[in-house]
Amino acid sequence: MARIRNETVSRGVVLFAFNSSKYNYVEMAEYCARRAKSFLDLPTTIITDEESAETITYDFDNIIIVEPDKNNIREHQVWINKGRYQAYELSPYEETLVLDADYVINSDKLLKTFDFSDSFCCHNRTEMLMYPNAPQEFLSSYSYSSLWATVIMFKKSTRAKQIFDALEMVQNNYDHYANIHSFVGGIYRNDYGLTIALKIVNGHSDVPSDYIPWNLVHVGKNTSVYADAPDTFDCKGEDFNTEFTVMFDNWKNSKMRKEYLNIKDMDFHIMNKDLFEGIMNG
Amino acid sequence: MDTKTLIKDAKARFAHNSAKAYLKEKYDSKLIIAEQGGLWKADAQTIALLQAFSNQFETKTVLIDTFDNPVEIDATALLETLSTTYNNVMTEWYAEWQELETKR
Repeated sequence: MARIRNETVSRGVVLFAFNSSKYNYVEMAEYCARRAKSFLDLPTTIITDEESAETITYDFDNIIIVEPDKNNIREHQVWINKGRYQAYELSPYEETLVLDADYVINSDKLLKTFDFSDSFCCHNRTEMLMYPNAPQEFLSSYSYSSLWATVIMFKKSTRAKQIFDALEMVQNNYDHYANIHSFVGGIYRNDYGLTIALKIVNGHSDVPSDYIPWNLVHVGKNTSVYADAPDTFDCKGEDFNTEFTVMFDNWKNSKMRKEYLNIKDMDFHIMNKDLFEGIMNG
Repeated sequence: MDTKTLIKDAKARFAHNSAKAYLKEKYDSKLIIAEQGGLWKADAQTIALLQAFSNQFETKTVLIDTFDNPVEIDATALLETLSTTYNNVMTEWYAEWQELETKR
């Protein structure tokens, strides 16, 4: 079921957000959407369920309601992250950026992704803030280096459809692929699903233009991020903070030393949702 | 609590190596641009090569872009775009580096 309020536009951002008992993903999506509007000047569409939609306060350009797949349990809680393959069918845009709700946009850099490929691109490498030589993640010792579903750009095309169809197929047969690639199944991960799907579509080879030519910046373990100032929304307009302080617990010889770094105008992805909530609240 | 107080209370040290890595990550990506049907990095090597071609009578040539595709380009036009990008990005990079270098 889709509730589309505005006319379809050719380029925009799609966010999936389903609230859990622990986290308000819709609020995170709203934070992300405000920044997408401001920094990228793109309309935003939220894909959510009926229950989560009731908590929406931001004026998304489109609200699409879907039946959530609650068949994924993480840390004893339902984690609704399945169904990312629906982005192709549900996106009202010819050219779409699919972002994780916990991606913090601080620049217009993502607009470049539309120039990189005629069909599809995503991140294939990550960089951990304050942990420069962190190893890349692999599905397993016997498998591929993981791709990342945090940022996906696709253009409506036969090839992009094939990739999302393959993603659906992998999601539906996740335990089988976990067995083949020797990783622990059970909890479905879009990153792993996407990795396998893209490799299948590409005949298990690499297509360089499928990869965004810079690293996905993560805030990882032992690392905290604090906004240097809150975002402000008033009658004068919106003012977004783009400066953050990153704190890292550097353990050496059983001693911990606090280190910090100031960053500005840089997009990043926060894996720790509690941290993200702290940033949203200034 | 503001972040300055947080840093002071935690007795945190500024991580200069991480700052270098952060700046490289941030500004390297800004050097990448799509132009004339290819994807290019405005780095010293590419600019030097384009400079050599643009000095010749015929400035049309074929270069391998960052996706490993051969692309026919106008060296003079591409040189101008990449040089401008390089200068702008490096100026920003240097300014932010100077700002961070003074931190303790």
